Amino acid sequence: MKKINQLSLLLPLGFFIVACAQFLGIASTHAYHMSSLYSRNGIILLSLILSLPLIYKQKWASDRNVLRGLRHLFFLILTTSAILFLSGERLDQLKDRFSEQHILTGALADSVFIISWAFFAVIFILIALGTLRNLIYVKRKRTTARNFTWLMIFLLLYSVSSVPLYYSESSINSTVLRYFNYAALFILINLAIANSFRVGWINYLNKKQKLGCFWGGLILTPVQIVFLVRFRQVNPIVSFSPLLERFIEMSMVFISIYFITSFLALLSHLPTARLYDRKMQQIQSLQDLSRALSAELDWSKLVSTIIKLASEVAQSEFAWLELYDKKSGRLMLISSKNLSEKERNKWKSKTEGRLADWLGSTKETMLCNQVSKTDLARPIQEWKRDLGSVIAVPMIASDRVLGFLYAGKREEFAFEQDDAEMFRAFSDQATIAVENARLVQESLVKERLEQELRIAHEAQMKLLPKKMPVLNGLEIDAVCITANEVGGDYYDFFELGDGRIGIVIGDVSGKGPSAAFYVAEVKGIMEALAKEVRSPKAMLVSANETLYKNFDRSTFISLIYGIIDAKDRCFTFCRAGHCPLYYMSPNLKKPQMLEPKGIGVGLDAGKIFEKTLEPMQVTLQDEDALLLFTDGVTEARNPKGEEFGEERLAQAFLQVKDENSTEIKKALIHQIYTFFDGQNAYDDLTFIIIKALANGKA
Amino acid sequence: MDTFSFKRIDNGNHSKLYLTGFLDAHTAPELEDEFEKLADEQRFNVIVNFSDLTYISSAGLGVFMGHIEKFRENKGDIKMSNMSPKIFRVFDLLGFPALYDIVDEESKAVELFTKQEV
Repeated sequence: MKKINQLSLLLPLGFFIVACAQFLGIASTHAYHMSSLYSRNGIILLSLILSLPLIYKQKWASDRNVLRGLRHLFFLILTTSAILFLSGERLDQLKDRFSEQHILTGALADSVFIISWAFFAVIFILIALGTLRNLIYVKRKRTTARNFTWLMIFLLLYSVSSVPLYYSESSINSTVLRYFNYAALFILINLAIANSFRVGWINYLNKKQKLGCFWGGLILTPVQIVFLVRFRQVNPIVSFSPLLERFIEMSMVFISIYFITSFLALLSHLPTARLYDRKMQQIQSLQDLSRALSAELDWSKLVSTIIKLASEVAQSEFAWLELYDKKSGRLMLISSKNLSEKERNKWKSKTEGRLADWLGSTKETMLCNQVSKTDLARPIQEWKRDLGSVIAVPMIASDRVLGFLYAGKREEFAFEQDDAEMFRAFSDQATIAVENARLVQESLVKERLEQELRIAHEAQMKLLPKKMPVLNGLEIDAVCITANEVGGDYYDFFELGDGRIGIVIGDVSGKGPSAAFYVAEVKGIMEALAKEVRSPKAMLVSANETLYKNFDRSTFISLIYGIIDAKDRCFTFCRAGHCPLYYMSPNLKKPQMLEPKGIGVGLDAGKIFEKTLEPMQVTLQDEDALLLFTDGVTEARNPKGEEFGEERLAQAFLQVKDENSTEIKKALIHQIYTFFDGQNAYDDLTFIIIKALANGKA
Repeated sequence: MDTFSFKRIDNGNHSKLYLTGFLDAHTAPELEDEFEKLADEQRFNVIVNFSDLTYISSAGLGVFMGHIEKFRENKGDIKMSNMSPKIFRVFDLLGFPALYDIVDEESKAVELFTKQEV
């Protein structure tokens, strides 16, 4: 709203002063002409029209501050009324001194008194109209401004048309004018009533403010009416300007009508004021929640916010939130307000069972105003004795019951149906928040897992040897195809000197990052032991001893450790629970499975392990080949769910027995991938191929 | 995704677990929880029937590894029965028969528990 330009007010003031001067002049000289009376009213009309911006652009009563405007108006009317009553006697006397010719015959002081009165009344009316306009414009509609403007226009029209009637009552011309005057009055009253129904501002007051307005109105409305009646009686301004007098009078009629309707509207609002206030507060709480939720992903903060707002919405002393734990499926007390330590401990799962079942299956709100006498609410009574009334709401997200939200009070019959409904609405919001927070948490966990997987993958790759060992007369090649999820496969070679190489292949139980870390541990131990220990059996026994102590009881590793000697191409090895190995020789019809006894590393403290472990030796002749592998190979599955199996592996190995180690490796990989037929490897696959070269005996 | 499920029957001094489907790193926790429960309930004599189990991974084996010690400390045991040749092969390769009672028929396991009582 623009500020009123102070200068623009000078103009109407100037006109007003001119009118006053003329009035004073006539009063003192007693010489007047009818035309001078009309011209004075004309000037005053101009002044009024020019001062309309005062109504339309009042700075001090902007529509945001309805109350302040009302307060100003209240004191203004009281003051004006007081002045009117105080100066009533004098005004009465003045009235008697009006001459037939509508001029005042008397002292200058009387004229000045009347002018002051007129000025004061005009200012009062303009401010009052401005205030009402602001009230009317609250909850403004399309027609609001139009109706008010028409009211102003007819106010002026009626005032103007009254002037000639006042001055020349007996004139013939006045008949038409009189009808026009009545019509204007009729429309004016209608417009006044129409505008008086615009009392929307009452909605925005809280209960206290409504009460204040009610008492103010109770005082003001009669005062205003008495004021109006009295004003008509003494009629002090009419001798100065009948136009102004009509304008003020009709404005006051409008103000009175507006006061009466406002007062009646207030009266009808009062009984529901408390409810209305609560609704507003509850809506506010709901909004607070939505705001809190959109910003709150921190779980503990979220649940404490939910509890805080829940007790606000229900205006309850106690509130608590129970949620089902995702893993165990058990109901847990997540957060509470005003529950004692003892009560929280006693809570445990007392509400699990009948009440929870009922809430979960009916999905209805339970409103119970006599906890002690309600069978369904008895489980609560068991852990909380001082509860009189309770509301319980199931929190349901996509048909799944997440948990329950409760609000309780000590007193019985403390909740109304309305509270329960509001609480339900709130709970639905809270449910969305809980679900969202959980989803975010889950996606964070998922992201973290994926990252862990990547790290595990990289770690595993780093644990594998980067190049193949080179030995006279022998060819060794190996490959590890890793699954998406780290499978825990491991192989390594150790340079032992004297043309000897230690070869290890293994598979740690379990998957994922932990498997990769166990592989790292095994690698370290094997590397350390390989340098010290001579025989494969002693090696594995020592490894088992150390690893059994360090491994988690559900973890173990299957291993084959062997030493190949380039001198006699003899492979001495032990199998600790690992898949057997295949031996192929040109004169064999199919690969031979070598499966000496032995249990996995980490299964037994040592005695049984050592007792069972059986060393084996195989001496390679020209063109002989050994194939070591992990169970990822035999357990590889095709889309039909069939396993690759030992038989297929043996066949595949047989087909490529004449190739060199690298070709064997490639062919086996090819076979496996063909078998996979687009399926992803579920577990790591590892091969080690040892091939004795033709005529390669050292 | 392949599924895993199990059924538990309590029978006097022992409980029987009937496993079905795929027991791998993803489904192992379900069985793990059940062993925890059994321990909580002080039921340390357990027979695991493998007749309907189609696959077991090393993580699945780990479940038995992880609990047998506690069960044995409490004078109980986990006995295994009715393994298909394929499943038995997995146990056998790892050397489980040297460490656990693995029997052909559930009734034999029951017998073993009964003998133990006497």
